[in-house]
Amino acid sequence: MNLTRRLVLLPVVFLMVVPAYLLVVNSFKSQQDITQDPFGIPLPRLSVEYLVNALNSPDFSLIKAYTVTALFAVGVNLLSLLVSGPAAYVIARGTKVGHRALLVLFLVGMFIPGQVLVIPVIYVLKTLGLMGTVPGFLLFETTLTLPISMFLYVSYIKTVPRELDEAARMDGAGPLTTFWRIIFPLMKPAVVTAIVLHTIGVWTDFVNPQIILGPASSLYTVTTSVYAAIGKYSTDFTVVYPNLLVAVVPVMAFFVFLQRNIVSGLTTGATKG
Amino acid sequence: MLAPALALLSVFMLVPIAIAGYLSFTDWDGLSPTPGPVGWANYERLLSDVDVQHAAVVTAVITVVGTVGCNAAGLGLALLLNRRNRFTSLLRAVVFYPYVVGPIIIGFLWSAILGADGAIANALIPLPFLSDPAWAVGSITFVVVWSQFGVNVVLYLAGLQTVPASLLEAATVDGASRWQTFRAVTWPVLAPSVTVNIVLVLVGLLRVYEIVLALTGGGPAGRTSTFAFLILSSSFRSNQLGYGAAQAITLMVVIGALALGVTALRQRAERAVAA
Repeated sequence: MNLTRRLVLLPVVFLMVVPAYLLVVNSFKSQQDITQDPFGIPLPRLSVEYLVNALNSPDFSLIKAYTVTALFAVGVNLLSLLVSGPAAYVIARGTKVGHRALLVLFLVGMFIPGQVLVIPVIYVLKTLGLMGTVPGFLLFETTLTLPISMFLYVSYIKTVPRELDEAARMDGAGPLTTFWRIIFPLMKPAVVTAIVLHTIGVWTDFVNPQIILGPASSLYTVTTSVYAAIGKYSTDFTVVYPNLLVAVVPVMAFFVFLQRNIVSGLTTGATKG
Repeated sequence: MLAPALALLSVFMLVPIAIAGYLSFTDWDGLSPTPGPVGWANYERLLSDVDVQHAAVVTAVITVVGTVGCNAAGLGLALLLNRRNRFTSLLRAVVFYPYVVGPIIIGFLWSAILGADGAIANALIPLPFLSDPAWAVGSITFVVVWSQFGVNVVLYLAGLQTVPASLLEAATVDGASRWQTFRAVTWPVLAPSVTVNIVLVLVGLLRVYEIVLALTGGGPAGRTSTFAFLILSSSFRSNQLGYGAAQAITLMVVIGALALGVTALRQRAERAVAA
């Protein structure tokens, strides 16, 4: 068995690691070195020049893109929590058929492809005067997080004893106060899971920032700035590899630190359904 | 307390779907102030449009091969990694990282590897990975599976933790072979996991867009466009928003029908296993 294990695992690991290896190695090589020997490491000729160029590109500031994307992630997570927390509380505590139906309505959103929504959403945003603006983008992106948030929060709140609500009500707290003061502090595992999943979602999203923010807003996220940077020079590998590497490094750091949360987030999300 | 969530859901999901439904019966070009009604013309055009037929075939190939690939690779690897030590958690990270990197970056990285002047062409042999339509669909499918099956590994690993150790021991005591144990103990317990994995992959693969954009841009000659890719390009490049809306509604109906259909079929399978 151990031999079979190795025979299967080795090629898999090889296939998974080689692209990452090429990405790192070629970010330090000249165009000639990359095309002549993509897999080689010409030690004396390695240079950080290309990475520095990627960071200082006159067209796009990747540093700015990080900041913008990080702020978007924070904004979407905050909005998502503020909106879906109380709603999930009402649905989780509700006993009527209507509450169950509402939850289903929220969850159906998971199956609606972004490509179906994005075009009519432009129409809606234009009507509201929010097309090409940060609030417009944040509101739409937050809506896309609702299915996962509602699912995680409703199933979590159902495990919190109702006696806590009643005790709070005896003390004269309204439902909103009860939620934020009593229930919310107990929801940490579900909130962390939601934040991790939504952060990955916002960070890797390309279509929505590209279409809704567009070039008009001059606001680029990491994905849209990489697309803009590489689109123009797609045959210049001294642009392609360093830009991709610079885009990937922070995500990988996030991944290494939070791997446990990401994995548990995905599995609670999928196994409870 | 429900109002803000319901407002967002209505304004950015329900109303847009209704608008898409309405636009799909018009000839709107995105510019004219009043979309003209055209009845079912957009849907009739879908049926005879060669681009749509290509996109349907490409999407079907990616979805079917990809769903089988992701699930076979995901379950296979999960079975091999189903033991706790440092080595396996490292391997789990190794298969899983593309999910965190995201499809557009993955697409660009693989296009630098598979492209005409890419790493494989320069280091090994030049093969038409992205330039020949049939090869390109294969390449897209491979990259999609490569970047997504790590999620299935993680989900199947979680499913395997629900297999009761006592049952596995009992099977061993009774002298069952590995295959018999898998068939009689592990597989039945895993049934709900299989359902979740199939539905998630199916729904995900029907909307593949970014990897196509980065690898082939839908080409050569539109022969690698997926359905999702076609929707955005007919809407934006050719300004046919009414037609794009008809395609979008069709995709949504197909995804909904498949998700429901597969869930129903699997529920029957799960019940058969439980009985």
